[in-house]
Amino acid sequence: MIWLVLSPLLLVILFPFGVMFLTAVKPRSEVFSYPPRWLPTSFRWENFVEMWNAANFGSALWNSLVISIGATILVLIVSVPAAYAIARFTFALKQPFSQFLLATQMLSPILLVLGLFHLVVFCRLIDSKYALILIYAAFNIAFAVWMLRSYFGSIPVELEEAALIDGCSRLAAIIRIFVPLALPAMVVTAIFTFINSWNEFVVALTLLRSQENFTLPLRVFSLVGGRYTVEWEQVMAATLLATLPVAILFTWLQRYLMSGLTMGAIK
Amino acid sequence: MKSSSLNLAPYALILPSFALAFFIITYPFVDILLTSSHEVSRFGILLRFNGIQNFAKVFADPLFTASLVRTMWWTLFVVSGTILISFPVGLILNQEFRGRGAARAIIMLPWAVSLTMSAVVWRWAFNAEYGLVNATLQKLGIISHPIAWLASGELAFPIEIFVGILVSIPFTTTVFLGGLSSLPGDIYEAAQLEGASVFQQFFHLTLPLMRPFINIAIVLNFIYVFNSFPIIWVLTEGGPADSTQILVTYLYKLAFRLGRIGEAAAVSLIMLLILFVFTFVYLRIQGREAKV
Repeated sequence: MIWLVLSPLLLVILFPFGVMFLTAVKPRSEVFSYPPRWLPTSFRWENFVEMWNAANFGSALWNSLVISIGATILVLIVSVPAAYAIARFTFALKQPFSQFLLATQMLSPILLVLGLFHLVVFCRLIDSKYALILIYAAFNIAFAVWMLRSYFGSIPVELEEAALIDGCSRLAAIIRIFVPLALPAMVVTAIFTFINSWNEFVVALTLLRSQENFTLPLRVFSLVGGRYTVEWEQVMAATLLATLPVAILFTWLQRYLMSGLTMGAIK
Repeated sequence: MKSSSLNLAPYALILPSFALAFFIITYPFVDILLTSSHEVSRFGILLRFNGIQNFAKVFADPLFTASLVRTMWWTLFVVSGTILISFPVGLILNQEFRGRGAARAIIMLPWAVSLTMSAVVWRWAFNAEYGLVNATLQKLGIISHPIAWLASGELAFPIEIFVGILVSIPFTTTVFLGGLSSLPGDIYEAAQLEGASVFQQFFHLTLPLMRPFINIAIVLNFIYVFNSFPIIWVLTEGGPADSTQILVTYLYKLAFRLGRIGEAAAVSLIMLLILFVFTFVYLRIQGREAKV
């Protein structure tokens, strides 16, 4: 009964995945045969190899990895101390700093895209991966701090104090006691930042110029946008390859993400 | 926490994040403020202060007004559609049933896929000649001839709204699931003892208690959907003939296709103002109602 109610939604959600997979493995002649049919007569796995070479998929994959991992590391480096400060100290600028972060959350990249473009031109970083790493990191700080803070708040401060009394230095107490306890929160934050950066489109579209610097979303878009003949079996092979790893990672992690989000929502 | 140097510790700890966010987000914001009030060359060089002329030009452009109205419909339909589907889905997923984990995983799946990729796949699925949407609908006998879905705004725009709803469901359902799991179970037992029907329980307990979560979902979705760029850009680039243009795509076109930089900056500021006013007013109204 429940499955009957859910099934229309589940079908619509799974539909694009079916389209992706079945188009990616079809021989080209069947992709462009009229009337179109769902099932291929034979599976043509060579589509993936051809796409990999024709679309320069490897370099796009590498760029996306470098940029997303770079942004994730940078976010953790700056956000963990900030969240620790908010969770553990009282200081005069705590409220204003939290409000500043909230405001940055509202200024989405698309609204600032013109200013970002000017900033990057000014820094002579057009067409550079560093620009994307800095920008992706900056726009993920607010969420990261918010998420980390609500976890950090739930770690009892007494544990660190006990370590201090036992003769640990403050730094050693943080590294030995606090960090291991806070690790799950950091992992969730890292994954979230990674996925956001991995999927970002408009900033990459604006700042990257040369094909060899394209990230995956941009690479796939460039195979489709503004072209008269689109090789759809290759495009679908590319979207499938780009989507699958993240989808699997995400499905595995969704329960942790869910509990993290709800914790933040209640506080 | 005894020596005076420790009082500076929190500031040292927040400094790196503040510096990065401030530099990357404030500079562009100030740049847009300046650009919107200046005459600008195609290459973004400020020529001279011209007050509100860029804004006047924007408001005089019929395409701006059309995009503004379409953005309102876009946001209204996607947000309300998302909430209306996600709420019952949240209620269902909150029940115990066989295969709940699998159902949850499938419903969350679109979240992991970038909007760009989703839109590319849908663009192919809605292809007029070879698309599998036409193939499926024809097989089911719902349509007799293939339809050119993306060739006119009247069909393309509703399709974009449909894709918009689909990709917003996972996040919204997550918010609702979080809310539902925080509801106290004992009040439902009490209501059952008093003989309250399922409908009475829903309208008098679940709905009021879920109010804060519905509000969070509405405000956050409003911000996301209002700013959402890839779906429309990938499916139609605002076309054909600007018939699916919303403010973000109009803004992008002004800035990077037409080189009307000053006007693009003005559109950015107008959009920011709309976002702030909506969020502020909405939270205000809800806050007041909650107190009554």
